[in-house]
Amino acid sequence: MAETSRERYAFLGREFLTWLWYESAHNNSRVQTDTFGAVQVEFGQRLTLETGGNVREGSTVSADAPTETEEARTALRTGKKVSRARLILEVADKHYELGIDAETLTLSQLKLPVVSGGEDLWRIEERLKLLDEVEAIIDELYVAFVRLRRDEEAWGRVREAMREWVLEVPA
Amino acid sequence: MGLVNGTISYLRFVANGVPEAFEEAYCAALREHRFHEIDPNSDLERSTGWVQFEDAFSSDWDPGTFVTPSGHVLLRLRVDTLKIPAVTLKAYVEQAARERCAADKRDKLIRREIDVLKLEVKKGLRKRSLPRMQLLEVCWTIATGEVRLMSTSRAAATLFVESFEKTFHQELKPVGLLSVLWLRGMDDAEIDHLAGLEPEPFHLARI
Repeated sequence: MAETSRERYAFLGREFLTWLWYESAHNNSRVQTDTFGAVQVEFGQRLTLETGGNVREGSTVSADAPTETEEARTALRTGKKVSRARLILEVADKHYELGIDAETLTLSQLKLPVVSGGEDLWRIEERLKLLDEVEAIIDELYVAFVRLRRDEEAWGRVREAMREWVLEVPA
Repeated sequence: MGLVNGTISYLRFVANGVPEAFEEAYCAALREHRFHEIDPNSDLERSTGWVQFEDAFSSDWDPGTFVTPSGHVLLRLRVDTLKIPAVTLKAYVEQAARERCAADKRDKLIRREIDVLKLEVKKGLRKRSLPRMQLLEVCWTIATGEVRLMSTSRAAATLFVESFEKTFHQELKPVGLLSVLWLRGMDDAEIDHLAGLEPEPFHLARI
């Protein structure tokens, strides 16, 4: 399927990462998946929020916990959504860190759990299994979001909760 | 950095399925599009071609081990660039012109002489220089058709897609926000339904 409509659907990617922030914030950093169970999702170091449309306005927050900053909350309140993030995922006993671009779901600077010893080919195959896993987690979270997004009734409830969350003034 | 160790940055693509007993044909196709060293005596500034994953100087694939035990094809696209930077070339040409003038006891060279000198200097500098080597790692999962390029550079991606399609006669499509849904099992009707969605203004209070 060609991505000719990349611009048209870029908002879905930004809404996905913003929803992930909301889910993580409201579930003690844990987001449920069918295949992997509860995945711990935290936002690390660097967070970029942007408006959509032809004239982009962006805010980049660099902090240890960027989603906790007033700057990031203010960006949300002014209509920006997450366009790039650094995610820290914990699943079972594995720890992943990665950069993600909302418009393409491209993963960058991905840190996999350490695979030591063995020959190069063995190590590559083990790392590919880990890469498959982290990619599957991200994809599954995204598919879950899109299924929710197209379910008008379920999404209606989440949308109202997210609006309240966006507009709420933190204590 | 890359598949063997370190952090990974990559782009995702999807290829069509492979034909029956593809190993032999694909090894031959890779040999046909293998990497060729740049001849410093030529004017060629860039050379692109496939090399073995484990050896940047070998283009000899064995159909028997072409696919790894877990079903991946690992390749490297080697891109060598031998280009003398304009500032460097200019400085060396000026130096050579001064030496020539001094030897000939003249004040300056005419345009045509400078052009000839420039070609000589460039050839000399190319012989003294090593090409800049770039190795793009590629992992092709045969069962799913997913292809990963271990780079997020747009220029690298363009070069890679061109080489891949030319070698394997397969169209390579980038994986993005819509195609990933299809890859992960959503059907066309579900995906088509997304056409009706518009961005949510979370920051606006309910009316």
